[in-house]
Amino acid sequence: MSGYLETKNLSVGYHGKPLIEDVSLCVQRGKIVTLIGPNGSGKSTILKTVIGQLPELSGTVYLDGETMRSRSRNDIARRMAILMTARVEPELMTCRDVVSSGRYPYTGRLGVLRDEDKKIVEQSLSQVDALAFADAPFSAVSDGQRQRILLARALCQQPQLIVLDEPTSFLDIRYKLELLSVLKRMVRENDLAVLLSLHELDLARRISDTVICVAGDRIDRIGTPEEIFTSDYIAQLYHLERGKYDECFSTLEFVP
Amino acid sequence: MEQKRRTRTWCGFLLLFVLLAVFLIWNLFAGSVQLSASQIGQILLGGGDDLTQKQIIMQIRLPRMASALILGGALSVSGYLLQTFFHNPIAGPFVLGISSGAKLAVSIAMIVFLSRGVRSSSALLISAAFIGAMLSMGLILLISQRVNQMSLLVVCGVMIGYICSALTDFLVTFADDSNIVNLHNWSNGSFSGMKWENVTTMAWVCGIALILTFFLSKPIRAYQLGEVYARNMGVPIKAFRAALILLSSVLSACVTAFAGPISFVGIALPHLMKALFKTAEPLLLIPASFLGGGIFCLACDLIARTAFAPAEVSISSVTAVFGAPVVIYMMVHRKAGRE
Repeated sequence: MSGYLETKNLSVGYHGKPLIEDVSLCVQRGKIVTLIGPNGSGKSTILKTVIGQLPELSGTVYLDGETMRSRSRNDIARRMAILMTARVEPELMTCRDVVSSGRYPYTGRLGVLRDEDKKIVEQSLSQVDALAFADAPFSAVSDGQRQRILLARALCQQPQLIVLDEPTSFLDIRYKLELLSVLKRMVRENDLAVLLSLHELDLARRISDTVICVAGDRIDRIGTPEEIFTSDYIAQLYHLERGKYDECFSTLEFVP
Repeated sequence: MEQKRRTRTWCGFLLLFVLLAVFLIWNLFAGSVQLSASQIGQILLGGGDDLTQKQIIMQIRLPRMASALILGGALSVSGYLLQTFFHNPIAGPFVLGISSGAKLAVSIAMIVFLSRGVRSSSALLISAAFIGAMLSMGLILLISQRVNQMSLLVVCGVMIGYICSALTDFLVTFADDSNIVNLHNWSNGSFSGMKWENVTTMAWVCGIALILTFFLSKPIRAYQLGEVYARNMGVPIKAFRAALILLSSVLSACVTAFAGPISFVGIALPHLMKALFKTAEPLLLIPASFLGGGIFCLACDLIARTAFAPAEVSISSVTAVFGAPVVIYMMVHRKAGRE
């Protein structure tokens, strides 16, 4: 089994101190791989290391068969796009401007968009159903619309892999479903590989092909949603002492 | 939308060029010696009989105008770069204490070298200013790692500015009499007494820095979305940040070396240009900020030398009167827009 993105014996952490060791994950094209786990368990740390924002402490990240280090910045940018939790507050940019910034790896020295680039921008906007508010200032649209615009920005980069860090946090339930269904459609249409982290177990269960459980100092388990989402295991992963996970409804319940 | 933007861009640049022409001509005519249009025309075309008149136009007014244009533009672009770097509209070479650092270094250089009888050359002054600017900049960067809040960083910058100014005042007090007049005029900021050789030097230094800045447009645009996204798009973040710092320091150092510290141009003008063009697009804003800064300094210099003639007001006083309200308006307005 060879994936578009693979890590071998990867150690991740901050300031040279490993937080999680021996991370081996594999994301194939057309599949969605989701990281779940309690807050602060290291989901973001893994994602940040994979995208090169944090240096890998040991081990290797492979992108399409070659190590990340051996690829040029531009080459990586054409293969991998991101949607992270860092707040984006650009001055005086419309939603379309934000999306077109994704063409960066393809444009010339001054970054002027050619007609071809503009066509791809429009395509990406329509893929996330954002044409209606494309001319609105990015700072004026709702959180849900912003996330869709950032997803369109990622698509505009024409990647084969998208990495998303908790893309649904702060969205209300309608926007959560909307964003993830758009994502699911993208994966089908563009044969994308997707690696993301999610808080919402019900959503993770619905969209993932593979679920990776991060438990603070290790990867606890990797499996299909059916294997992972059992009440015993989820209760153990999230240290639920007095609550329980309801398998039928994918909800956490508090037992008094 | 695209059509609307294009129209706005053309109209914006048209307005800038008209203003530029107006203030260039006005500056040419204004002064204690009244000259007629035909006299000035003749002199500019290489004619004219009166040697004094010729001297006034060719050796005093023209170089002064050229330096106001170049240095004003350089200051404004320097401010634009710093605002990009710190992701904050209140950043500028003056409020962050960079101009004052350059000023202190130049005063030291002037006193040390002048007292030993070495003539202060442009290259020497620029180098000293650059070292001073970089030292202040380094200090600000160190502080910025500890202080996350931009307003606090600006307060620190202002404090650094005061310390440098105080030290400069000490030096002026203990300097030889012959140096003081020079030093005092310069340390308040002024475009007077510019020679063509100064103009040539500043044109080279600022010209090269501006061209390099223009070629940073693409990464600047990516950086506007934040460091994380810029890195993912392939911007070499460390090199890019270093380039921003170096270029903005060279530009503000060059200004300080020749004209002393000039306040508020660096903050106010990029903001005015953003408001005029309704975009933060660097390909537009870099040339627009340059033009805007140049025009603003031409206008302020006109006021500085004619309002209370024959006395001359320091250029910084004039730029502060017009620039500070813009900054205040901007800060109030921004806060309102966020909530």
